Formats: sequence, structure tokens, C-alpha cells
Amino acid sequence: MIGQPIPRLEDERLITGQGQYTDDIKIEAQVHAYFVRSEHAHARIIAIDTFEASASPGVLAVLTGDDYLAQGYQGIQHVPNPADAVDSSKPSFSIQKNPHYFVNLHLPLASGAVRHVGEAVVMVIADTVVHAKNAAELVRIDYETLTAVVKADDALENTAAQLWEKVPHNLCHQQTFGDDAPVDQALARADVVIERRFVNSRIVNAQMEPRAAIGLYDPDKKCWTLISGSQGVNKQKQCLLDALKLKDEQIRVICPDVGGGFGPRTMLYPEQLAVVWGAMVVKRAVKWRGERSEGFVSDYQGRDQIITSKMGFDRQGKIVAVKNHWIANLGAHAVSFVPPSNGMRIMTTVYDIPLASVLVQLVYTNTVPTGPYRGAGRPESHHVMERMLDIAADELKLDRLHIREVNLIQHHQLPYRSPMGLSYDSGSFASNMRQAVEMAHWADFPERQKVSLASGKLRGIGLANYVEAPVGAPIERIRLTVNRDGQLEFITGTQSQGQGHETTFRQVLSHFLGFPLGDILFQSGDTDFVTKGGGTHSDRSLRIVSSLIKTASEALIAQGKAIFASLNQVPVEDVAWSAFHFSSPQPSTPMGLGEMAKLVHSSAFDAQTIKGELGPNTPWLQVTSDFKGRIPAHPTGCAVCELEIDPSTGEVELLNYTSLDDVGQVINPLIVDGQLHGGLAQGIGQALSEGYYFDAQSAQVLSGSFMDYGMPRAGSIPPLRIAFTEDPTKLNPLRVKGGGESGITPATACIFNALAHAMSSNAREEIPMPATASVLWHYLQALKEPHVQR
Amino acid sequence: MIETHLTLNGRKITTLVPDSTLLVELLREHQHLTGTHVGCDTTQCGACTVHVDGKIMKSCTVLAAQVVGSDITTIEGLSPEGQLHPVQEAFRECHALQCGFCTPGMIMTISHFLKDKPKVLSDEVINRALEGHICRCTGYVNIIKAFKVAALKMYPDLLISNGA
Repeated sequence: MIGQPIPRLEDERLITGQGQYTDDIKIEAQVHAYFVRSEHAHARIIAIDTFEASASPGVLAVLTGDDYLAQGYQGIQHVPNPADAVDSSKPSFSIQKNPHYFVNLHLPLASGAVRHVGEAVVMVIADTVVHAKNAAELVRIDYETLTAVVKADDALENTAAQLWEKVPHNLCHQQTFGDDAPVDQALARADVVIERRFVNSRIVNAQMEPRAAIGLYDPDKKCWTLISGSQGVNKQKQCLLDALKLKDEQIRVICPDVGGGFGPRTMLYPEQLAVVWGAMVVKRAVKWRGERSEGFVSDYQGRDQIITSKMGFDRQGKIVAVKNHWIANLGAHAVSFVPPSNGMRIMTTVYDIPLASVLVQLVYTNTVPTGPYRGAGRPESHHVMERMLDIAADELKLDRLHIREVNLIQHHQLPYRSPMGLSYDSGSFASNMRQAVEMAHWADFPERQKVSLASGKLRGIGLANYVEAPVGAPIERIRLTVNRDGQLEFITGTQSQGQGHETTFRQVLSHFLGFPLGDILFQSGDTDFVTKGGGTHSDRSLRIVSSLIKTASEALIAQGKAIFASLNQVPVEDVAWSAFHFSSPQPSTPMGLGEMAKLVHSSAFDAQTIKGELGPNTPWLQVTSDFKGRIPAHPTGCAVCELEIDPSTGEVELLNYTSLDDVGQVINPLIVDGQLHGGLAQGIGQALSEGYYFDAQSAQVLSGSFMDYGMPRAGSIPPLRIAFTEDPTKLNPLRVKGGGESGITPATACIFNALAHAMSSNAREEIPMPATASVLWHYLQALKEPHVQR
Repeated sequence: MIETHLTLNGRKITTLVPDSTLLVELLREHQHLTGTHVGCDTTQCGACTVHVDGKIMKSCTVLAAQVVGSDITTIEGLSPEGQLHPVQEAFRECHALQCGFCTPGMIMTISHFLKDKPKVLSDEVINRALEGHICRCTGYVNIIKAFKVAALKMYPDLLISNGA
């Protein structure tokens, strides 16, 4: 089972149109919500006139943020500060020590002011979507527009617009990690110091399923239900409980099929809270289906980090110290600090750097809130590190591979503790790079470059090494039950948004317990039975769940042994489990778990015979396993990209892309390949086409649809050379590291290294991201100007 | 309100819908065929693609009134109950879907493209055929692979350049 490329079991319903995404679900007598959104980036709300809208045909309610507050509810407490990567019992940022720290509770509808284009202000509920939209047009909102700021570094300026009264300079929090003094001393003594500023561009999540949510209210039981696609029901439930001030049993969250996650759907959205509240107000099921245009201005966005790096080298290219300044754009509300938290931990990546420090600043701006987007901070850090090495190699006149070789963590140094406190247990960093370079025919590149030059093209090749440090929610639960039909019921707190859990987890269960895949019932995504669990993000699911499956399987087998012993009147220590059957040396019929469950649940069976063995309160053949903490794992590898730029148009053609990855043991190679492709496409998109632009004056969003946001299309991915390798981790039983972020983590880094190589531009200003044809054409024109050495 | 007569997945139907009803709304809201998805509002993503009188159409950009009398096939009617179309089979075999949201539209376009034996099939031809579709999960690599695998299932002697 392990390692088999089994076609996914969830696919049949999805390829025949039988998937159940939120908008496919219809509740009897449901009504429809539509949101009036802010057209301003920053404005005070003077007055909202809902009179005419309320009288419009079919309207049940027109609700504002003040209505919500007047009913005694509060905004969403996102808990943006994640658990620390190393010590999960403490938060990543020491906000408790910061007297100026301020995070506003995120209201479902803005009250007092709007702080980004697209912020929901009024919710109209009507019998049909059309009636709700018609009424929404009649809502009059009187705004006093304010100056706005969209870039995080601008927001720190004295003259910048201030979003929150309690947050001067829009600085939500700042903190230095590592010790500056020795870093500064080492930099002062370094032979060469390179400094460069990187603007990691803002990304629209653009999962293909527009967000949708259905709120239900049961007035008799005073219970609410949210049906909505997400990346984990428990976090959503907790946020709803907190906002609506309810008791645990009063909220149920159900997640049906999800059309893509990529990070931002981990957190609760204002609209999800709004429909649950709305259902109570109108005493009907309230459904909202977001439109793509709404998604472009309200789905939590990714990246948008400005990182200035200062790196000291000796003449041989050895890095002596690194000091980064990381400005994270939070957007208008603090939804998540995960990207800078991850990014600062992994900042030295696969290199043996003795000294490092980073100042992280978390900054509010008049933009859609940001959250973790695939990789979340790790691609940003790798981009900086790998670009800095190429820039330094040029400056020091060293070979690009050589400068990496002298800095890579060597295998004999493992376990290696990074200056930011991560411990790498495994990873053949140097041999991975050698292998990738060979696969990419790096040595013969100059010959290929000549051919390109002859046809007027600029050809470049770039490389990036990477290592990840998956973190995520430090809590998880699974439950295994062998039911009366002899099937294995599996409940997990992780939750697929397309990653194929229904297949991979069954493979793992079958590996440990021998059930055929068809006899394993898979359940997730409903707080009625998922009582605990962190959902799916940050490469966490398979690593944590496979570890839990092993523990739970062992407990289940122990239960089975006790039952077998009772049934056959043999000592329990004589019972063996082999080839997925219980047996004993004494005469007895070997029995599998399925058969055993059928027997003990049958009416003919005398329960008294085994009750004593298991205790009266132990359900037979059922095990719940919990996990709390961290299972570190460090997926690693190397990517190489080769490309051509047409200098007459600035257009880039990716010629080929090499990816060598250590994701740990591969459970299902079909799925791991797919994850790699998808991550890579997102990396290519960020590098070359996905630009989210604002008008500099009004802060108005200019990229509001798929017509003006450059999504990767068929053909965006060049021919691939993919190989997997493994330096086994001992930290989890199935040696799982993680494959969800391996494609994306080195992608922008190696593409930008290839671009700069093609244009021989390492000594010049950094190429803006995304490097669209227009950007590169202008950049090439600027390169013709004489360069003043700083 | 408009009375809409259609042949839908081989079945003759008549339904009364408001004048402004889009074909995709008729399918999803009135006929409960939710396999046809709405992924955008600018006719860019292709998740709503269906067959109308043997042509592919983005059902989010067609009024129900415009297709009165037409023969419409959706993902639910692409293959007889209990059977899979070769394109569906290829999607599963090649892991050409992850979240599955764009998948029905992709399958409708590819199955239409392969209705008649293509003269040539290359990556370039495939990329052009998929131009009207967006996928966020797969990077299209396995969709392109499934396109070729399906083509060979349907036309075993078909020549494919750039390999299958």
C-alpha cells in the first residue's frame, strides 16, 4: 500500500459532477445574503441609510455592523499570533511584552470606518439573490474619504494615513529575533557586505471555488450551524463561539467538498460569521455565494512582504553573518502573523551561517488582510537567501555553485541547529544540489547560451536550494472504530481541500491494519464528530495523522488481543497479531479485526465474556488518539530553472525546470507529483504573471478579476525533470516529511536567479516581481543606462 | 417569465424561469445539476462549460432564453449512468484533478475536442484547447497528460507529438 500510485478514491464523484461544494447544497426555505462592500480604501462611515433597501421586494433584513454590535456580539478573534515553531506551548511573537500591541476584533460588517476596498459594510438578506442585489443598490452609505496607504514601508512613515487610532505608524508589533550585537560586529569585520531590498509581491489566493457559506439557526435548540468550505472546522467553530458568545454545543460547523485552500481558508471570514448571525435574525437558512469579483477584494491574500537583507562574506564566499529587516503587510486587519513567523525561523535555510538576526515589523495597511499562502514565509525567505548568494557570487567573482558548496550544511553536521533555533535532523543538502545540477545539465549551459544569443535571446539558468520547517496547528485527533459491519471507520481532524486524504490516509490505515481500501470509511469536516483537530495546512496532515494512525492501530490491536484471548480462553500474552490476523499457539481460529467486530456486535454474542477484560466503559474496537506538540520534519531539495528572455518584448520562455525533492517516504507518488506541479505553478505565477496592482493615488484595486490578474494557464509549466530522493527522518514512523510546499518554496528564487543571470543584472537594482514582459522590457531599457556603483 | 423547452442530458424538459435566468442558473438552481460550476463572473475560468447543440459553451454567459429548443449535455449526462467517458477515466488515472472544482468544465471541453479524431495532437494544440480554462491546483501538467491518454483511449492510432 505504501508507495503505490493508487488513483484517488474521491475522484469518481468529482469527475461525474457529484461533488458537493457549499454552493451545491440547498437548504429548504433558504434565503440569500448579498454584501454591500466598500468602494473606498479608507473612509469614515458617516451614515448608512437602509430605509429604501428594506422596503425593496423580497427583502427580509438589511443589517449593519452597528446592528451586530447592538445585539451584544463581538468581532472575530483570529488569534493571529501562531504557536512557536520550536516550542509550541508559547506564541511566536512576544506580544504580551508590547504595551502598544493592538488587534481589533474583525467585525462581520464594518462599523465606524472602512479600511480596505471590498470590506463588507451592509448585509442584505432577501428571498432571492436578485432581490438581495436589487436592494443592495438602494443602500445609501455616506462616506468621508480618508487618505489611504497600501505599501507596508509607506505605512510606517510619519506622514502616512493611520488605520487604527491606537496604532501609531500602523505598527501592530515589532520584534527582533536573534542577537543584533554579534551580528553587527561580524558584519563590520566581513570582507564584503551585500545589502539588497526585496519586495515579495502580493498574491490573490484565487482558489477556483468562490467562497460560499450557509448559516442555519434552530430556534428550539438555540443552535447554529455553519456550512462552508474551509481548511479546518474546529478553528472556525472556536472563532464563531467566541464572536457570538455561545456555548460549545450551540455551534456546529460542517465543511463539504472544498474547491482549493492554499492557506487563507484556515481562518474564519467575516461573511461566514455574518450568515450565521443573519440566520438568527431572519430565522431562516441564509446562504451566500461569493462572486469572483468579491473574492478579488475580500479573500485573504498572500505574501506582500518587504525584506531587506544584509549579508557579510569572507573572500572565499563563506557567509559570516546575516541581518534581515522584514516588513510584513498585514492588510487592514490582523488575521495571521504566520508568514513572517515562518519566514524568520527559516531565514538561514540550508546554509551553515553562524550568526543571524532579524527585525520583524507587522504593519497595517488599507489592503485586504493577508494570511498564509502556500509556503507562507518560506518562499519569501528562500528568495532572499538564494538571490543574495547569486549577487555575492558575482561581487566576489566566485562560481554560483561554489559559493553554495562552501556554505551548505554538511551531512556530518546533522542534527544541525540553526541560529534561529530550528533543528534539522536529516537532509543531504550538498548531494541534492549536485544531483539537481546534473539533471539540469548545468555544466553544458554555456553552449546552449551561445545558441540562444545567436537568435537574439538572452538565456539564463538559476538554482535554489531549499528546506522547510512545517509547523501549523500543534494539536490533532483521530478515531478508529471497527464497526458491526466489519468496516474500519476513520475520523480525522485534518481536512482535504484537494490533497487526496481519502486515498492517502486509507493507504496508511490499510498498511497498519490490513483493511481493503473499500472497507475503510473516511470522515472529516464536521464538528459533530470531529471534536478536535487542526485542519490542513503547512504540510502537517499526513505527518501527524500517519503517526497517530500508528499509535491508534497499536491500541486497537491490543484491544483485539484482549478480546481474542477472552473468546478463546487463552492468556492474552499468547495472542499474536501477524498478517493482519489474531492467533494463538493453542487451538483457535485466526481472526481479523473485521470478523471480530462482526462477532462481538452480533446478538448471539455474550458481552459478559469480555467486558471484564476491557472495562465496562471502553467501547470495543474503538480508539481515539490525540497529539499535542510538534513533529519536526524538514522537506528539502533543489530546483533549477532555465529560461530565455526576448529582449525586444521582455517576454520570458521557461525552457525547462528541474526539481529534486526529499519529501520523505512517498505514500502515493501520483499525489505527491500533483502537489509538486501545483506548487510550482503557483511559484511560476508569482514570479512571472500574478500582479495585484493598486492606483497610487486612490489606493483603488486595479486587478479585480481574472481578466487583469495573470493566472497561470495550460502551458505555463515548462517541461519538467522531477526526481525524488530520501535521507530518512527518524522523527515519525512512516518517515513522512511533506510534499505540499516543495514545488513552491524554491520557485521564485530560482526563476529570479535565472532572470538576473540571463540579463547579467545581479549588480543592479532587483527585478520587480512579478517579472511580466512589460516589467522586464522596462528593466532591460534601464540596464542600458550607465550604472552608478553604490 | 419564460417557458424553456430543452433537451437536457437526453431528457426533454420544460421549465418556467425568469427572463434574466442564465443557462448555468437554470442548470444549477432549477434542474439541480450542480456539477456545472461557477468559478468567476467574467467568462474566464471555464468551470461552467457545457455542450449546447454539439458546441462548447460557457453557461454563465448564455441566457436560458437563448438556448430554447437546444440539446444540452452537462457533466452529469456525459456518460451513461455507471459508466465513465474516456476523458473521465483518463482524469482519474492521471490524477488530473485535485480539488475538482474546475474539473467538470475541463472534461466537457476535452470531450468535445475529442468528439472527432483530431488531425494532430501536440502540447501546443492542447494548450490552445484549454485556453478558456483556469485550474489553481494541478499546474495543468496532469490535465495535459490526461488529454493525451483520453485521446489514445478513443483513437489508439492517433499520433501525438511531444510524447504522451
